[in-house]
Amino acid sequence: MASETDDAADAALLADLRGVLGDRARDNDFERGLYSRDGSIEGSPPAIVCLPTSAEEVAEIVRICRQHRRPFLARGSGTGLAGGAVPVGRPVVVATSKMDRIVEIDTANRIAWVEPGVLNLDLSRALAPKGFHFAPDPSSQQVCSIGGNIANNSGGPHCLAYGVTTAHISALEVVLPSGETTVFGGVDAEPPGFDLRGLFVGSEGTMGIATKAAVRLTPNAPAVRTLLLDFDDVSEGSAAVSAIIAAGLVPSALEMMDQRAIEIVEAFAHAGYPTGAAAVLLVELDGLPGGVNAGVEIVREVAQRHHVGHVRVAADDAERALLWKGRKNAFGAVARIKPDYYLHDTVVPRSRLTEVLEKVYRIADAYGLIAVNVFHAGDGNLHPILAFDRREPGVDERVKAAGRDIVAASIEAGGVLSGEHGIGLEKRDYMGMLFSAHDMYTQDVVRETFDPDGLANPLKIIPTGSRCSDSFHQHVPEGAWV
Amino acid sequence: MSTVGERSGSVSPVGTFPLQLDIDSDTLASCVACGMCLPHCPTYRVTGEESASPRGRIALMRDVAERGEADDAFVEFMDACIQCLGCETACPAGVHYGHMMEATREALATQTRYQPRVRRLAYRALGMPRLLGLGSRLLGLSQRLGLMRLVALVGRARPFRQLAAMTASLPRVPVRQSPLTASGDDVWLFTGCVMDAWMRDTHRAVQSVIEAAGAGVALPPAGASCCGSLHLHAGLASDTRRLARKVMAALPGEAPILIDSAGCGATMKEYGHLLGTDEARRFAARVQDVHEWLAARVDDLPPDASDADSSTPLQVAVQDPCHLRHVQQAHLPVRTVLSRYFEVVELDDEGLCCGAGGAYSQQHPEVAGAVRERKVAAIERTGASVVASANPGCTLHLRAVGLDVRHPLEIVAEHLPAREA
Repeated sequence: MASETDDAADAALLADLRGVLGDRARDNDFERGLYSRDGSIEGSPPAIVCLPTSAEEVAEIVRICRQHRRPFLARGSGTGLAGGAVPVGRPVVVATSKMDRIVEIDTANRIAWVEPGVLNLDLSRALAPKGFHFAPDPSSQQVCSIGGNIANNSGGPHCLAYGVTTAHISALEVVLPSGETTVFGGVDAEPPGFDLRGLFVGSEGTMGIATKAAVRLTPNAPAVRTLLLDFDDVSEGSAAVSAIIAAGLVPSALEMMDQRAIEIVEAFAHAGYPTGAAAVLLVELDGLPGGVNAGVEIVREVAQRHHVGHVRVAADDAERALLWKGRKNAFGAVARIKPDYYLHDTVVPRSRLTEVLEKVYRIADAYGLIAVNVFHAGDGNLHPILAFDRREPGVDERVKAAGRDIVAASIEAGGVLSGEHGIGLEKRDYMGMLFSAHDMYTQDVVRETFDPDGLANPLKIIPTGSRCSDSFHQHVPEGAWV
Repeated sequence: MSTVGERSGSVSPVGTFPLQLDIDSDTLASCVACGMCLPHCPTYRVTGEESASPRGRIALMRDVAERGEADDAFVEFMDACIQCLGCETACPAGVHYGHMMEATREALATQTRYQPRVRRLAYRALGMPRLLGLGSRLLGLSQRLGLMRLVALVGRARPFRQLAAMTASLPRVPVRQSPLTASGDDVWLFTGCVMDAWMRDTHRAVQSVIEAAGAGVALPPAGASCCGSLHLHAGLASDTRRLARKVMAALPGEAPILIDSAGCGATMKEYGHLLGTDEARRFAARVQDVHEWLAARVDDLPPDASDADSSTPLQVAVQDPCHLRHVQQAHLPVRTVLSRYFEVVELDDEGLCCGAGGAYSQQHPEVAGAVRERKVAAIERTGASVVASANPGCTLHLRAVGLDVRHPLEIVAEHLPAREA
């Protein structure tokens, strides 16, 4: 519960924010509740929700927060899965959803300047008539924002060939935690100086708030073919993944779904996914027609060596779209089994996929949970989903424990903590599994350079205590749920 | 986007009141808050605010259901939903948002003063064809004479002001209309309330297309006047049930019941769910959008008889009413019928609502206008000069900004051979 002192501090802060934003600074219980969480499990309410419409307003909000020594954090569409946008410590939430203008599309330089609230798919749709798109395509691309993509250095199925968000951000206008506005990177080929742009992308709001981005435009491929391969055996499917890469192909996307995933996805999308199969691979090839057609034959031949059931090649754009509709809605569709889900994100070497997948199933069984697997097999980026019902007593602890075991199993197999969802709150306390105390100390020094007062999305990514390396398991505020 | 969603007063709770939401906890828990609905929600699109999103509204319903009390902010958030159900089409988890919102509105209407008396009376008048006809003629006359402004000036009492405000943004309604004439008993053509009072010529065109496909059309007696759709959206479900019984009694037999208003069709297909009787379920099974019925008989329709150059067919942009696309999932048959005569042009907005929403555009003109701007931009991107919309609400809402919007079958009727009088 907030004390009376807290209430007085909140009221003074609100008055100052209202001076800038008017009614777009909110403190009613309902709305604070709505901004208390993102796409992850649960959170705690912020003190105030701000809905700015311009970079100037964002800078003012940050300056006011500094004056009041109040933490702040940026929030895009609230679909993040690692708690990066979950308020901790009664902060001010700066929702960028009203800043959704595409400022300029410059096809000559293959750059578009956009505000952070522009939705990923809206951007690609706006670029389509000009023959371009924005390459990173998270499953949530219809709703996730460019600002959120920048914060998390988001990936997506097509990042296998095209690279993740950082490869597609040329320049960033940023409000620093000091309240100053600056530009990192540039639209020239090689901007001088340190690559602060590269440092900012993926920093999850701990180094400031991006208020405008110059994104790179990727030309739409002249030919695209999408294949659906089904297997009776998960290990054959996994082996086929490695074999396709080993055959010299880099498909634009190489996705895997297990049997449970196939069933729930088919129930939503009616795309003709083979519900009896143990696993399917969704393989997409793009490029010039000749190369793509040759690639299709290579995939077919590799798959046959691995005892594929059927090789289905989508006949047209409509069939392709239907297959992707299933894949991209898989997570939400889990609600068809259980009302809650916890989606993990780890990376393992491709060659160890089968082994880690088997461990994931064993871990879920041991904790009495249901595991569903839909993931970017091509780069070994696992996304085990633990489906559960939060109303079952004690289930929270089991989900958390299973998650930790899955992360541990991935790291044991030579993998890393996160592929694309970020560290946020979820993985913060696991950083010590992968990084030495010195590693984390160094990261914290970098962060402190940007934010000496620790107000920009604090208590995320790096465990506090890294500076004295005494503890990686500090107290998480009441109500927050990692 | 910046101006929409700013509220005139503070929404800090000024007082709570008890509210029992009759939604079971499994239904409330069925939303996992993944957010896939957000871009498909017109009010989220124009405000960028969680409280104006389906995910946000469900979270608020859950909150109120648990606490058993609500406040004015909650009412405001619930009332701001257009009920287009674009979110249901987008939802990977198959959440029944529409039923949750209807239950919430019903709880508000029965337990609070959510629907003011003047609005309840206006809704009730929809089920009274004579009163509606008389009122419409008076409205049409007063529009022509500028009388409503006079009412607003002279009538200081609250109901007068409310009435003046409600009618200020209405389209110009006809003063005189000639009656329709039945031509057989193969199918019923449901004529409804406001649509019959204001847009009877649309029914006339629809009837001619049905007849051109070889069927005789029966017309309902005056009793089957209103389907209860607007009442249902307003939370007045008991009024809908009462009207549903009248409609069912007025359209007996086994003949298909064809609807040329997407909103009415959506509600009449729900009569089984609403009344929970076998009779209602059998009735609902007879209800079809007129395009569904025609699409199955599209080869029976005569060829284009207009003198238009067949090498360059007219481009018709299709605006899908939400009640056709998201609720009835019957938007494809419109294309089947139209493409027999025209080049169908698709909008690129994935069927995002136009902002009409039955009475919504009257009650929330600012949000409805902002939503409409997106639709107008999508229509303009097609380059088509004619827009087909199978719902009277959408048609009037879009015509109000100068677009040439007609019922799909009105456009078709113009291309049929002339009939003998």
